[in-house]
Amino acid sequence: MSVVPSNSGQRTGRLYWSVQAGRNVGVRGLFLVVLAFIVAYGFLFPGLFTMAGFAKFTQSWFPLALVAMAQALLMLTGGISLAIGATVSLGAVIAATTMVGPLGVAGGSALVAATGLGIGAITGFIVVKLRLPAIVVTLAGSFIIGGAALLILPRPGGAMPEWLSDLLAGNTPAAFLLLVVVVLLWKLYLATPLGLSLYAAGENPVGAYRSGVPVDAARIAAYALSGLLSTGAGLFVAAQTGSGDPVIGAAFTLNSIAAAVLGGIGFLGGQGTMRGALAGSLLLSLMISVMFFLGFTPVAQYVAQGLIIIGAVALPQFRKVQR
Amino acid sequence: MKLSYFASASALCLGLALSFSATSAAEAAANCIKGDRKAPYTIGWANIYSVPTWMKQTQGTLEAQIEDLKKQGLVDKLVITDAQGDANVQIQQIQSMIDSDVDAIILIAGSSTAPARVLADACAKGIAIINFDSLVDTDQVTAKVNTDSAQWGEQAAKFLVEQMGGKGNILVLNGPAGVSVSDDRRKGATPVLEANPNVKILAETNTAYNVAPAQEAVTSLLFANPEIDGILSLGGALSAGAVLALDKQGRTQVPITGENARQFLELWKEKDLKGWATMQPNWLGAFATWLSVQALEGKDVPAFVKIPLPVIDNANIGDYLARAADFPADGYIYSPYDQALFEKILAGK
Repeated sequence: MSVVPSNSGQRTGRLYWSVQAGRNVGVRGLFLVVLAFIVAYGFLFPGLFTMAGFAKFTQSWFPLALVAMAQALLMLTGGISLAIGATVSLGAVIAATTMVGPLGVAGGSALVAATGLGIGAITGFIVVKLRLPAIVVTLAGSFIIGGAALLILPRPGGAMPEWLSDLLAGNTPAAFLLLVVVVLLWKLYLATPLGLSLYAAGENPVGAYRSGVPVDAARIAAYALSGLLSTGAGLFVAAQTGSGDPVIGAAFTLNSIAAAVLGGIGFLGGQGTMRGALAGSLLLSLMISVMFFLGFTPVAQYVAQGLIIIGAVALPQFRKVQR
Repeated sequence: MKLSYFASASALCLGLALSFSATSAAEAAANCIKGDRKAPYTIGWANIYSVPTWMKQTQGTLEAQIEDLKKQGLVDKLVITDAQGDANVQIQQIQSMIDSDVDAIILIAGSSTAPARVLADACAKGIAIINFDSLVDTDQVTAKVNTDSAQWGEQAAKFLVEQMGGKGNILVLNGPAGVSVSDDRRKGATPVLEANPNVKILAETNTAYNVAPAQEAVTSLLFANPEIDGILSLGGALSAGAVLALDKQGRTQVPITGENARQFLELWKEKDLKGWATMQPNWLGAFATWLSVQALEGKDVPAFVKIPLPVIDNANIGDYLARAADFPADGYIYSPYDQALFEKILAGK
């Protein structure tokens, strides 16, 4: 259940913050781990606190943050997607093949957005209206979408306008500001009727339906938005790399699920918060850089990564057991 | 925030100053080299995937080379990253190498386009970048190092046609479809096959470069084709699969091409085949490392270094098999190398 900020007085304001703090309980451990990693990273690499250093790090994190949101959005409604990586790839190749052509940046962006929304809406419609398991539909979808990306660009290539690459992935924290905007939009969405229905549709669909919540619409909308976030991540990756690669997104499927679960999002729906998923994705991204600066060998990195993930997930559980 | 503006502004000034000084000194030096880095160097090895045997052996030659350079006082540290096949992670790892100010980056790329921008950043900072095996479409590196896949296919086809006296039926075994190495080797073979119309291609396969799928594919082709006079195999483990398939069906072995996979070379000797093989030498890793230090030391390094293909035939197969015990059973027996060879390659001879 989400509580929406309201301007009807201080009392509701206080209530809002106390409810928000209550929602953080499960992910406090994760927040601490993330904070520790940021401190460690800053200590190992003081350049992190220059504008260019901060910009480059947030650029590495940004696409993972978007796909973590895309996955969390679905998992909150009780869904899941195995097509996120393929959708990222498709977004990237569409951007890299249209933006320097007659469509331009505006037309290319519109096409990328429309593709994401369209793919998501169709997937959502099939899952929700035909009552098919999301995991099967999106697995099949990942082959179709991945195939489409390979049809558009069989080999890595294409191009992005240089100024767009420099704007999004240059030495300014544009990507971070963009993420702030996306998060604010998410807050806004939660204030709309569809957004309000999101948690209800995930946690107790039957009860929500009987209370007049538009369960199906909320779930289909979640799939559409998830598609939009995924192709958006693809557009960013294309800008960041200056080109399109039809398989660039492959690893995002598993990483998006890892980030969401790490962030306390439950598989059964209605459980968890977007800030948790974002923190999860931040931890995954931080780990890569921190391990490098600690000078771990690749094999030691695998082991350390696993231990950190288990630790971050287990921390709140320990405290629950103790209570 | 003000502080960071100041820091980036001063970094910009420094960058400008460096690029001015570089233009005057850049005449003789290799690409990306500014001449402000001094030995001993820190070398970054940005691997895309460390698990396959070929990669392990390649890393082995690279590490041996580093030990050698350490003794000479030219290198003091090697940092290794493994992107586990994820091109995005590789970009982040290269960024970390730039942030930690390594002097050279040795790279096998996970995508032929994606690392281009981060490499441009590294190049602008005067980091020597040697890209080998899987190349990136960019000129913002010090040098790219590779063998010629088209030549690979051409030489293999020539050997086979010659062995068959210019006529007969062949099978063509390719690596996976859509992979540039596999496509390029096949393209190299095409003109030779077209020039010999009496050599008839019965069938072609596309499989992963592993023994089992190749053996399976060739087994079913053998049932359909009683008359086969040669096998044009364009990858090491594929040839071992083909030889095993012929053997299992009791068919006579035919002339065959391939790569330096230990299993294939051992079968070659055991079955007394008429064979020909070449390789993507694992010492490319050692060579790339050596080359990065040459560039940092101010030597002129060309933008592309073509590695001549070492050839294994019935005359020298014994030499290779004599060293077999030094290599893993599922590994590749690469040609011997030393610094004299590296210097010869760099001199373009």
